Amino acid sequence: MKCTHYERWLWDDLEGRLSAAQRQELYAHLQVCARCQRQRDTVLTTYRTLHALPRRRAPEHVVQQVRTRLQERSQTRAIPAWWKRVALAPALGLVAAAMWWGWLSMSSNEERTGVATKPSPAEESWVEIHEQLEVADWSPTVSYFIKTGYTR
Amino acid sequence: MVSSIGRHIEVDALSAEAVLIERAQARDEAAFEQIMNLYADRLYNYIVRLVGNPTDAEDLLQEVFLRAYQGLPNFDGRASLSTWLYRIATNLCIDHQRKRARRVQTVSYHAAEDEDGEPSEWELPDTQTPDPLDAALSRELQQVVEQAISMLSPKLRTVLLLYDVENLSYEEIARVLKIPIGTVKSRLNHARGQIQKQVDKYLRGESI
Ligand SMILES: [Zn+2]
Repeated sequence: MKCTHYERWLWDDLEGRLSAAQRQELYAHLQVCARCQRQRDTVLTTYRTLHALPRRRAPEHVVQQVRTRLQERSQTRAIPAWWKRVALAPALGLVAAAMWWGWLSMSSNEERTGVATKPSPAEESWVEIHEQLEVADWSPTVSYFIKTGYTR
Repeated sequence: MVSSIGRHIEVDALSAEAVLIERAQARDEAAFEQIMNLYADRLYNYIVRLVGNPTDAEDLLQEVFLRAYQGLPNFDGRASLSTWLYRIATNLCIDHQRKRARRVQTVSYHAAEDEDGEPSEWELPDTQTPDPLDAALSRELQQVVEQAISMLSPKLRTVLLLYDVENLSYEEIARVLKIPIGTVKSRLNHARGQIQKQVDKYLRGESI
């Protein structure tokens, strides 16, 4: 068998994955092969170093920051139901207007070039918002208004 | 006898975790905070070595937890929580590295040092090394290995970190990365081979 094969066995041996017969074969080879003997030292050093690498501690403020962000989110979600109903109509109007505008500019492009143009990322995000609106229980959140510029 | 006690402790830990998950799924933020505290160090350790930058790792860890909180109601418990969290972390890191790929960046582990040249927040392993020469040697070796890890391709790096540093099993890694166990093993062999080559050079006194 080739030395490269035994090299793999060196790792398996460290993890106790070799059968008794394989171990015997490996050690018999090590007796006669200086190259694999050196590899054994390298593998052992690599294995030990890898398994003793210093462990880092996550900075404590990460958990605190996540907690704060989750609290902010839950406050955002706690908008009164009447406000959601009042706000939904103008939001829908805004989206419809934007889609109308997008359709107009796209069709004028088609007229000029004679080919349908690929929607720009901005257009795609509008389509995405439209799809979100089709979700039955959808209701706008503050972040939605901020994203769409509705509050400005 | 001992193993049976060990198994009991493991089962207890698992059921305690299942209760935590259930509470967090019901939007109990205190329960989710406990989950974060349980996994923060492990995930951070993995992310730092995956992206090679402690500042980015902090942001990414935050994002992992936010995504986890969001996705928790859909977590069906078929995978273990740790596998699921490592999966979110891996995906976010890969995405992050892709975005950064255009910027020329040499990931160096020296970046993890404070201004005074001392490593920040490193926790040394429990092994005692009374001989200062041994300590210096092992520290140098650590740097060689850290650098070799940072030079691995993302595919190889993820597998090596999950197996040899985070101590996940082949099966768990296969679930984290959604690849066959055979692929996990072959990537691990390749990764180890590359690290081993650098260690060999160092041991023979060649410049790396
Ligand atoms: Zn040989």
